[in-house]
Amino acid sequence: MKRIYYLVRKEFRQILREPAYIGILFIMPVVQIILLGYAITTDVKNIKVGIVDLDQSPMSERLVEAYTRNNSFIYYGSTDDERVLIRWLDDGRISLGMVIPLHFQRDLINGRQPDVQMVLDGVDGNSAGVVAAYAAQVTVALQKEWLPKVPPLQKKAAALHITTIEPRMWYNPDLKSVNNIVPGIIATLLTMVTLLVTAMSIVREKELGTLEQLMVTPLRKGELMIGKIIPFEIAGFLLVNVSILAAGWIFGIWIVGSVWTLYLMSLIFSLSTLGVGILTSTMARTQQQAMFIAWFFMVFSLLLSGFFIPIKNMPDIIQGLTYLNPMRYFMVVIREIYLKGTPLEFLWKEGVAMLTFGVASFVLATVRFSKRIG
Amino acid sequence: MAAIEVEMLRKQYGNLLAVDNISFEVSPGEIVGLIGPDGAGKTSTMRMIVTLLPPSGGQIHFQGKDALRDMSLVRANIGYMPQRFSLYQDLTVEQNLRFFGDLFDIPPGEQKKQMEKLYAFSRLGPFKQRLAAQLSGGMKQKLALSCMLMHHPRVIVLDEPTFGVDPVSRHEFWEILHELRKEGVAILVSTAYMDEAMQCDRVGLMYKGRMLAMDTPQKLLSTFPGELVRLPVRQPEKEYAWLCEKLGDDRVQLFGDGLHIKLDDALGRQALMDVLADRPGTTGALQQIKPGLEDLFLYLLEEQHE
Repeated sequence: MKRIYYLVRKEFRQILREPAYIGILFIMPVVQIILLGYAITTDVKNIKVGIVDLDQSPMSERLVEAYTRNNSFIYYGSTDDERVLIRWLDDGRISLGMVIPLHFQRDLINGRQPDVQMVLDGVDGNSAGVVAAYAAQVTVALQKEWLPKVPPLQKKAAALHITTIEPRMWYNPDLKSVNNIVPGIIATLLTMVTLLVTAMSIVREKELGTLEQLMVTPLRKGELMIGKIIPFEIAGFLLVNVSILAAGWIFGIWIVGSVWTLYLMSLIFSLSTLGVGILTSTMARTQQQAMFIAWFFMVFSLLLSGFFIPIKNMPDIIQGLTYLNPMRYFMVVIREIYLKGTPLEFLWKEGVAMLTFGVASFVLATVRFSKRIG
Repeated sequence: MAAIEVEMLRKQYGNLLAVDNISFEVSPGEIVGLIGPDGAGKTSTMRMIVTLLPPSGGQIHFQGKDALRDMSLVRANIGYMPQRFSLYQDLTVEQNLRFFGDLFDIPPGEQKKQMEKLYAFSRLGPFKQRLAAQLSGGMKQKLALSCMLMHHPRVIVLDEPTFGVDPVSRHEFWEILHELRKEGVAILVSTAYMDEAMQCDRVGLMYKGRMLAMDTPQKLLSTFPGELVRLPVRQPEKEYAWLCEKLGDDRVQLFGDGLHIKLDDALGRQALMDVLADRPGTTGALQQIKPGLEDLFLYLLEEQHE
């Protein structure tokens, strides 16, 4: 036990002498949160709208006004030629084109449900979907205003009134993607530090020849592994805290749930990444190799974590694959705790899954570790 | 009782026999050197002795006990300095020493005493607060040696400890080894330098996993058949090729100071003079020299090839 302490102390001395580590622990989280928090956004703002109003009636004007008044939309211009509208769209000057048909008002009042055409720039499918949803919202709001005025539909309107759907987004009321991104960044950073840095640290000793020297001391393999893990477990913990503060101060996003639950879950999660880190170090002979192998794991875990791409949008096979990715569970857990304040008793399944991966990767790492040294 | 006793030790990597049934022992107060080219099996042998590598066959006894069974006994009592050993560059001299002392559970008081002794030994005292990275090559080697001596091992194994170190530092390093020998430490060392091999009590010549010969340097040299002459020449490589053709390439060896030619009953001094008489380029007189370990080694290698 004492030897573990000596090893940890040595490790910390080395970490403190290395300015790069200080940068990784204290500067990287802040920079990443700022950069990614602002850059990765699925919010759709300032949607430019072009309009062809063939009806020119009070009601069609009311519809146009509803769009131009909405904060998400910017009125680009009107034309009476659909071809001009398409050209605007082609040139990227607008991302939403709306065509209001002739006799819009008359049909509406007669209850004939006129069709309003929406043309969307679908290059970025995600954004297009959001734009369509926003547009639908605006129209729905307007319909509520109009329905009572349309005699044939008044009865229907009354019925509708009972079951009006008014979406109210909980946990992230403004649907700000930064709220979702920041917890994801914390998960990513934690993975990076615990996986990459652990692997590098052991391989560096291998390169220097000190690992061979360590093996010929009374130090046991288990002690060596634990001695390597503790410093980076602590480093990961520090990093989580730096990230929490950075997210709070920069974006005003604070944990809704219990910070202790988050600590516990981070600890369990980093067991699996530390295990993979040690596993990586048994496969690599040089720090460069370790870097490549660790990045392979990183990219795999990141893409299949649901950080950028919702897991529900993935093909079934890939969805199944994500269950093998410990980060997938942590991504859920950290978002739940951060945004919803979900208590521990609803997260234990994810916790058990991560713990399983942690133990498994550790066992595997220990087996391989002892094999290599012989 | 021998400190290390190796019996029919063997290591096989696939089809390659890295160590081929070698046997030898190292006694307390004895320096045993292993020499041989890269791939001779020196490092594999040493790694098996220090329990880093499981042997494919054979026995190793450490202070009379089965080293293959009682690995922790070996690890707690042996000092090992691997090839390319470079310590923790970002720790100071003192921190490095203390770290290894700690790992072997040496109490702080005793560590302090041992450190003072090692500082005197290695003359590293004035640099104890310096980072290992900022030491010269020779000082690094001495620090590495000091680190492995923190737990007073009675047996030490050093794999090419002076590789790439300047001659003065090498000399100082070996002075420490002699000092340790006086204290009764058993030392197994591999080296690429023949002058270091000459300082060993016994030397083993290894080639392709086999132990070609092992004895005191003097006895080994006395096995060199015939006598040896040195021919200083201006264009050694050209002359070497020419002479090899004339005399056969097992007689002539190319050295930095000229050609070394082996004389025996089949080729006397006069016969060699006659051959050289045809050759105006071979200026300078033949000098009789004492064969060195390198001459012996090359001779044994030639014999191997036949």
